[in-house]
Amino acid sequence: MYGWTGHILRINLTTKTFKNESFSEDFAHKWVGGRGFAVKILFDELKPGIDPLGPENKLIVALGPIAGIPAPNTGKAVVAAKSPLTGFYGDGNIGTRVAEHLRKAGYDALIVEGKAERPTLLYIEDDKVEFLPADEVWGQGTYVCNDWIYAKYGKGVGVLNIGQGGENMARYAVIRSLEGRAGGRPGMGAVMGSKLLKAIVVKGTKTIPQADPAAMKALGTGDLKKVGQIDKQTGWSIQSTTGVLPFCNEVAGLPVRNFRKTQHPLAWQVDGERCNDARVATYGCPTCTMRCGITILDKEGHESELDYENVALLGPNLEIFELAQVGSLNYLCDDYGLDTMSAGCTLSFYADAIDHGATDGDFRFGDAEQAKILLRWAAHREGKIGNLLADGSRRMARVFGHGSEDYAMQVKGLEVAAYNCKFIPGQALAFGVAAIGAHHREAWIITFEIKHTTRESYGPEKAAKVIELQRIRGGMFEVLVSCRFPWIENGWPLENYPKYFNLATGLNWTLDDMWKTADRIYSMIKLHFLREFPNATREDDYPPRVWFDPANADTEGPIAGKILDLEKYDTLLQHYYDQRGYDRRGIPTKATLQALGLDAEAASVSRVARLD
Amino acid sequence: MKIQVKIIGPLMYAAGFSEKDVEVPAGTTVEGLIASIGLPPERPRIVTRNGCAVAPDALLAEGDKVAVSPIYSGG
Repeated sequence: MYGWTGHILRINLTTKTFKNESFSEDFAHKWVGGRGFAVKILFDELKPGIDPLGPENKLIVALGPIAGIPAPNTGKAVVAAKSPLTGFYGDGNIGTRVAEHLRKAGYDALIVEGKAERPTLLYIEDDKVEFLPADEVWGQGTYVCNDWIYAKYGKGVGVLNIGQGGENMARYAVIRSLEGRAGGRPGMGAVMGSKLLKAIVVKGTKTIPQADPAAMKALGTGDLKKVGQIDKQTGWSIQSTTGVLPFCNEVAGLPVRNFRKTQHPLAWQVDGERCNDARVATYGCPTCTMRCGITILDKEGHESELDYENVALLGPNLEIFELAQVGSLNYLCDDYGLDTMSAGCTLSFYADAIDHGATDGDFRFGDAEQAKILLRWAAHREGKIGNLLADGSRRMARVFGHGSEDYAMQVKGLEVAAYNCKFIPGQALAFGVAAIGAHHREAWIITFEIKHTTRESYGPEKAAKVIELQRIRGGMFEVLVSCRFPWIENGWPLENYPKYFNLATGLNWTLDDMWKTADRIYSMIKLHFLREFPNATREDDYPPRVWFDPANADTEGPIAGKILDLEKYDTLLQHYYDQRGYDRRGIPTKATLQALGLDAEAASVSRVARLD
Repeated sequence: MKIQVKIIGPLMYAAGFSEKDVEVPAGTTVEGLIASIGLPPERPRIVTRNGCAVAPDALLAEGDKVAVSPIYSGG
């Protein structure tokens, strides 16, 4: 078998033991890697109903057959577990040297089980595994922890670590790497914290098995250069993702004031031009030639690495328009190891709930200094408010009541990324049916929707576009594992990716093979969901109700008086289900599961839930 | 007539400005306005007028706000 090492490293923190396990060629071909490996391993090994923050949960770090090989842009890993935020399968991808090092250590995936007795650093070097004390940095943020690791092992090692948010099991704590990278929005950092696992450090020195290493090297390194050249021509990375902010503001798609408003006259103060003007450094992932991390100095003088999502959700969404203050909130999230998106939506929900009388409190939109205090409370679960904030907007809304559930900006418990879909039906669908909750990673169709369709349409063309993008973004890129940016932002042809895959594996796959793998994974995540929530309904795929509330319609601007229509959204959702081969609850039918080779998984789920 | 033009993202470096009022003769189309700004024609983009997508041959009116953006894909 080429392309894969054929091995998974299983580590038990309770017993301080580890095992090198091999997997079959059939397993590799069916699940490919990354998200595919994670979704299958967690399905097979987790019992439904387990506590995601208990020792029964397992943390997966999974790589793909081109991970770590020089090619566009392969320095990424998938981290996954049962999510403490959403209650079912959760994952994320993270730029990290672990991608290369774990593969060079001889593994395609890592399974971490059990719970350590004391704060632990897991050190993996080829065949060696060490369980080392991490008491010295327990209670410290990710920057101090990272420096501590670099001082011990040098800067070249692969690192995954957590901050206080993960230690205290804030439900949207992320895993961090390479100073500026984060992954695992639905609480993968909290799962690490629940295991008293402060950090994973990996060093590998072996060769990654490839079918045609010479051809792979020639093509991969050449293409990396070409992607860099294209980026220079387009200029994309000058503003990187922050460039999209003024576009969202222009078309009434920016989250402002907990998504109550879609535009703001001061949005320009935190747009891509201002971010680039304030830049003091640029960061990126390994094997990347279009580095997207714009770093500015925050209000306190820390380096803070920005992208669009964190600027929009910690800025305009909180009605904060001073870039350095947005940088401060972003820095704190990064240091505490909190997801910037869920943190932004949870804080904005809290301000909105106070505003609407659902709870008492003195936090107001626009108050950056108070927002900093609240982030600290959330990361440390300090006091009643800190505990509530650490649980995310859905759980807070259940406590507050008074109809506040309608404006908790989340789907399935995961907070919405920074696109206000008050009147963008297709993107609202993309959030509704995103596999793990309202993540933008899997389908983003706003420019397509505005340029190539009628914005008012709820037609099947929008459902088809969401599926097309899910197959590419949530499927192929998440199993290979590779960054989607060369394709989505600079037009690097998709056809290149099967070429890389085939040179690594010796197979002869086409994009259609990738799409089938993607469909299998989407169905598997639905099975995870159904297994945990046997009474699942199509309403689980509805976006936040406030987007359907006529009282929430804009009073001026391009979508004045317009709002999503619930009945029409439901029709659009049905188009999606029909095209996917799902039943009216949004669950894959038995026939669909059979066509995807998931008979055994279907039989397993049938024991606890209905399949049609 | 006066048109407010906003150039979004890296296209602003090709245009040489990010926002300004442009004076064009009556009867100018969206396409005509873009050509007068000097943006490279081959670069994919989305053009909006007053926040809504607009066709290249649409006629502009006094006070229109036109924004030109690259085709972003949402990060």
